[in-house]
Amino acid sequence: MKSRAGIVLLLAAGVAVVSAAVAVAATDGSRAQQHATASAAASCKSPHIGMSAPITGPAGSIGSDQLHWAQYYVATWNKAHPTFHVTLDQFDDQLDPAKAATGAQSFASNSKDLAVIGPAGSQQVIAASPIYKRAGLAFLTGSATRVDLTDGHLRGFFFRPVPNDSVQGPTDVTYALKHLGVARNDHVMLVDDSEAYATGLRDIMKPKFEAAGVKVDTESIAQTDTDFTAIVNKTANDKVVFLLFQVASQAQLFAQQMKEKGRTAIVFGSDGTFDSSKFSVNGSYVSFFAPDVTNVKTSARTVNGFYKKFGHSTTPFGAPNYVVAQIEINAIFKACKDGKVSRAEVRKLIPKTSLKTTVLGVPVRFSRNGDVIGGKFFIFKIVNGKYVYVGS
Amino acid sequence: MELLAFDPSFFVDELTAGLTLGAVYALIALGYTMIYGILKLLNFAHGDVYMIGAYIGYFVLTGLGGPLAPRVPLVPLILLMFLVAMVGCGLLGVVIERFAYRPLRNAPRIAPLITALGISFFLESSAQLLFGAQIRSYDTFDLHNSVLFVKGIHTTVHGVRIDLSLVRIIVILSAVVLMLALTVLVRKTALGKAMRATSYDREAAAMMGIDVDRVIVATFFIASALAGAAGVMVGLVFQQVSNFMGFQAGLKAFTAAVVGGIGNVPGAMLGGFAVGLAESFAEGYWSSTFKDAIVFGLLIAFMLLRPTGLLGTPAIQKV
Repeated sequence: MKSRAGIVLLLAAGVAVVSAAVAVAATDGSRAQQHATASAAASCKSPHIGMSAPITGPAGSIGSDQLHWAQYYVATWNKAHPTFHVTLDQFDDQLDPAKAATGAQSFASNSKDLAVIGPAGSQQVIAASPIYKRAGLAFLTGSATRVDLTDGHLRGFFFRPVPNDSVQGPTDVTYALKHLGVARNDHVMLVDDSEAYATGLRDIMKPKFEAAGVKVDTESIAQTDTDFTAIVNKTANDKVVFLLFQVASQAQLFAQQMKEKGRTAIVFGSDGTFDSSKFSVNGSYVSFFAPDVTNVKTSARTVNGFYKKFGHSTTPFGAPNYVVAQIEINAIFKACKDGKVSRAEVRKLIPKTSLKTTVLGVPVRFSRNGDVIGGKFFIFKIVNGKYVYVGS
Repeated sequence: MELLAFDPSFFVDELTAGLTLGAVYALIALGYTMIYGILKLLNFAHGDVYMIGAYIGYFVLTGLGGPLAPRVPLVPLILLMFLVAMVGCGLLGVVIERFAYRPLRNAPRIAPLITALGISFFLESSAQLLFGAQIRSYDTFDLHNSVLFVKGIHTTVHGVRIDLSLVRIIVILSAVVLMLALTVLVRKTALGKAMRATSYDREAAAMMGIDVDRVIVATFFIASALAGAAGVMVGLVFQQVSNFMGFQAGLKAFTAAVVGGIGNVPGAMLGGFAVGLAESFAEGYWSSTFKDAIVFGLLIAFMLLRPTGLLGTPAIQKV
C-alpha cells in the first residue's frame, strides 16, 4: 500500500506541473477565432489604431514611454486635424508573448482598428504575427529587432523604422575588435536572456567573433533571474561580456555582481539594456538602434513638447513609436482621400512611406520585407551615469 | 556541454554562490516543511509570503532614507529590515491560516491545496495592485559606498582565491542563526514540544490538553517570519523585488523540502543547501541554460526514487 503522504506529494507535484502547463498553454491564446475579421466598420470619421506595449511589468518604464510617444503623435495629429480625429486603443502585453497574442486578438476583433503599433519585443511579435496576418492588419514595431521577423514571411504586414540585429550584431563585434582591444585568442562571453530577440542576436555575433579568432563562451539567463554569480564566476578570462538582455535592471545587477567579484571585463549591453535610469555602471557600453532623440537638434521642439505633456523624462525606446504612429496615421489619412478605408488599403500604403526626416533625425523608407533602408546602430559609453555617444 | 578544468578558486566561488542561494531556499523550505508537518498541507502561497517580506524590507529601507541617504547606521538598519519583515510576514501567515485554511481543516486535502494556489495568485496580484508592476530595487550596492559588496573576506589560502562579500556573509550567517534558533525552539521549548506532538497526532495532542489552534497559529507565524527574513536576504544580496519573485523561489524551496524530506526540519535545511549548491554548480560547471531543469530533475528523481527525501522516514500505515 502506498503511503498517503506520498500520494499527497505526487498530487501536489501534479498540481504544480498542471499550473505551469496552463500558463504555457495560454501562449496559444484563442487564435482559432481569428478568421477574416471584417473591416467594414472601419471609418474615416473615427479611425482607430491599436498599440500593444509592455506598459507594466519588468519593461514597464520602456513600454509606458513608448505609449507616451505614440499618444503624443496622436494628440499632435488630432490638434492639427480636428475633422480627422484618430483614437489610440492600447493593450498592456507586459512583454509577455501570451499577452501579446491576446492583445492581437482584441485588435483583430475590433473592426475599427486599421493598424497596430507594436509589439515591442521580438518574441511578442512572433506570438502575435499569425493573428495580425489573418486579420489583415499592418503592425509596425518601434523596437523589435530580431532579424528573421523580416525574412519575408510577414511581407506586407510587418514593418519597422529601426534597424535589425543583422546591423546590431556586426556593429557591436566590429566595435569590440576595433576599440575595446579584443583580439585573436581573446575570450568574450555572450549572455542571452533566452528570448527570441537575444538568442537571435547571439547567433549573429558568435560566428563573427569566431571568424576573427576570438573564443566565445555563451550563457543564458531568464528574464526573472537576479542571481548571476555562477555565470559571473566564469568571466575571469573574458575581455568583454555582452549582455543581450531586454530588462536593463538585469544588466545593472550583472555588472554590479561582476564588481563584487572583482571581475574587470568590459560590460557591453545590447539595445534592450539601453536605459540610463536602470543601467548605469560606469565604463560599460550599450548599443542602440536609434540616436538619443534628446540630442537631435532638429527635434528639440518636439522633445520639449513631449516633456511638457509627459514630464521631463524619456528613453530612446520611446521616440521610434512617434515615427510609427506618424507612418500609420498618414497612411490612413491617404487611404481616406476617397472617403473609404480598409485594413488592406492601409497595408498597401505603408510600404510607400518615404519620410525625408523624422524625429529620430534619420529618413525612413522600407525595404520589400519591411526593414528600414540604411538604418544603423549607435554605440554609447556610460560615463558617470550618462550615455555618451562614442561611435556607430 | 563544456566541462572546465578543475580550478579550486572557481570551485570556491561556486560554493559560496551556492551557499548564499541555499541559505535562502533553506529558510523558505523550513516554512513549507513546518506547515506540512503540522497540517499535512503544501502551502504553495509560502513563496508569495517571502515576496511580501522582500517588499516590506524594501519599504523599511526607503522609509528610512533609502540606500543613498539612510537615516540610521547600517547594522540597526538591516536589523530593522529583518525585524519588520519577519513580524509583518508572521502576521500575514496568521491571517492566511485563519481565513483561508482553518475553514478547510477537515475538508479533503485537495481543497486546501487548491486554496493555497489561489492565495498565491491573490498575493501576487495584490502586490501588483498595491506596489505597482515595476521592479523595485533595494540598491544596496549604493549603500555606504558599496560596503556590503566590497568588504568581506578577500584572501588567498594555499593558492586558492576566496571572495566572500559582507552581504553574503550576512545572508549565510543570519540563515544559520535563524535555523539554530528554530531547532532550539522545536527541541527545547514547551511550544516546540506541542508542535511536535501536534505534528505526530493532532487529535491525541488535543486530548492531552494542547491548544492545537494556538500551535497551528504559532507555526504559521514562525514559518512566515522565516520566509520574510529570506525575502529581505534576497533583497540585500540580489537587490530586485517584484511581485513575480515568489513563485519560482517557492517551487525551488518546495523542491528543497522534498529533497530533505518534507515535514523534517533538519531535512529542509539540508535540502535548501543541496538545491542551492546543485543550482550553482550546475550553472558553473555545466550550463546556465539547464540549471532549472537540473533542480526540478532533482525533484522528480527524489519523488521517484526516494519520496521520503534525505532525512525523512516512511510513514507507517495501519491497515
